[in-house]
Amino acid sequence: MREIFIIIKKELSELLRDKKTIINSIVLPTLLVPILLFGVMKVTKIIAENESAKTVEIGLANAPEDFKILVSTDTLNKISTYTGDEDFKKLIDNNTIQTAIVFPTDWNTQMDSLETSEVLIHRNGSKDNVNGRVSKMLETYTETLKNSRISKLQIPINKLTPFKKSFVEVGEQKELIGKRIGGFIPYLFILTMWGGCLLAAIDLVTGEKERKTIETTLSLPVSKFKILFGKAIVASLLGFIPAVLNLLGLIIGLKLIDGIPDTFKVAINEMLNLQSITLILLLLIPFSLFLSGFIIALIAGATSFKEAQSKATPLIMLIILPLVLAMMPGIELTWTTVLIPILNIGLGVKEIMAGTIDMFQYAAILVSLIAFAVGAIYFSYKKFSDENAILK
Amino acid sequence: MIQIKNLTKSFTSVSKKGFKKETRTVNAVNEISFECKPGRIFSLLGPNGAGKTTTLRMIAGIINPTTGTAIVDNIDISRGNDEVKKRIGFLTGSTGLYERLNPDETLDFFGKLYRIPPTQLSERKEYLFEKLGINDFRKKRLGQMSTGMKQKVSIARTLIHDPEVLIFDEPTSGLDVITADSIIDLIRESKQNNKTVIFSSHIMSEVDLLCDDLAIINKGSIIYNDTFQNFKNEMKADNLTQEFINRVKEA
Repeated sequence: MREIFIIIKKELSELLRDKKTIINSIVLPTLLVPILLFGVMKVTKIIAENESAKTVEIGLANAPEDFKILVSTDTLNKISTYTGDEDFKKLIDNNTIQTAIVFPTDWNTQMDSLETSEVLIHRNGSKDNVNGRVSKMLETYTETLKNSRISKLQIPINKLTPFKKSFVEVGEQKELIGKRIGGFIPYLFILTMWGGCLLAAIDLVTGEKERKTIETTLSLPVSKFKILFGKAIVASLLGFIPAVLNLLGLIIGLKLIDGIPDTFKVAINEMLNLQSITLILLLLIPFSLFLSGFIIALIAGATSFKEAQSKATPLIMLIILPLVLAMMPGIELTWTTVLIPILNIGLGVKEIMAGTIDMFQYAAILVSLIAFAVGAIYFSYKKFSDENAILK
Repeated sequence: MIQIKNLTKSFTSVSKKGFKKETRTVNAVNEISFECKPGRIFSLLGPNGAGKTTTLRMIAGIINPTTGTAIVDNIDISRGNDEVKKRIGFLTGSTGLYERLNPDETLDFFGKLYRIPPTQLSERKEYLFEKLGINDFRKKRLGQMSTGMKQKVSIARTLIHDPEVLIFDEPTSGLDVITADSIIDLIRESKQNNKTVIFSSHIMSEVDLLCDDLAIINKGSIIYNDTFQNFKNEMKADNLTQEFINRVKEA
């Protein structure tokens, strides 16, 4: 054990003196989520403000007076009047107008006889702001017409409302939000963990070859297993630490950034309590060891940073795929999925955050991850002991 | 003392030709035998690719021999190469130093893994730093040092545990004459201290200066093994370099 600690200490000092490692493993993971959150909130706010301040050019044909008044109450709407025979597609395409609302010529007659009429709305489906505002106006107008018909027919409102929907929420806010965003959180920190493990593993194995120190290390009176295990622990630490910082960044970001709805903030605070964080981090320990062992095994024969990177990069698909699956509705934590690495973390974290994790299933995830970590370390030891690969 | 008997190292390479896999086994070192005695400097010479590095790596316990035995300081390397490694100081062109550490940290790291007691480690470190003139740059990172400075630190880390057996593969390569001289001095001192030294170099003047026993290896086999004095007595060429070239060509 003493030798492993000496190796860990030396490898950590070496890695933490490298600016690239500090930026990738400490600075970026800590700041990534707060910056992302802040950026998304700010950009969404700016876009919403800009959109709501934009003038909308509306073409009206045969529009009744009350509708024209409704449209013109919003000073940002600019009205152009048409007969209804124009080529509205062309007018929208060349930006003369952004949308056109065409009423039938006998609109007033149809309304007076309480018939169902048809209004044509020429629009470009991709212009969300314009379409949203027009839909809102039409809804208001429909409501006004409906109310006037009801009063004209002298029907009491309650007669037209057979029932009211009242929802009684039995699930906690935490469970609702946890199930919805819980799958996204492991996606975030597992990718950070992957990046940290990859960079560290390449530096510790291929980097040693490039710097011609691998033979020096192998000449030490320490078994290859201890050397490999020390390196794997350091690589997993350099994956685990960024993941923790990522989580920390998320908590800090949610606390400090304005604009996040209070209900959401409360639910997230409830989800990321000491117990759930401990449960998540416990899963990440064997997982980081599994990742680093697997990466070391893959890159053991590489002679350059570039070669190592190209050997290990395809592995990311094996990580993303289960994480995407974990976010899909209908995929739940079962006694089968608890044994599939990565997918089990994705689903497990979702359940932990929702507060609905079955502790037996949690234990099964933990045990399976430990077994996978042991397997990966053994596999990497075999590769690391291969003289043809390591002294290439 | 090093005793090498019928040592062979085979490497197997697999090459793919379409769907077919071809396995090829090459003997990098083929049944070599020699002996290095304490208090004497043994020179292992050979052209590039002759099997010199593979032989030295096997003696140092870095790679395992395919067949044959190597006994280093009374320990058979097949019985546990970690014990052998404790008794060896190994320095070759491919034993680089950790560039993000400084000399102090480097020697502490090696000393701790060689299980040298702290006081003894500190004394030995100070002695080597003084002897090799490392004190001026002992806190400087190795990545920022010149080749000469790095080589001095390499020598210090090779000698930190005062090993019984020393393997130097081209220790003065790329160094200025003053630094090379201080290293030659240390090798001589090791001989005086009754250490077993294997010294390999392409610089024949250094071989002439240090060598007591000599072996020439070519294409994985030993083609000459005797005392250096006998080699010189048997010389047909005018100088050592030419004699070495002739012997390799004739083999």
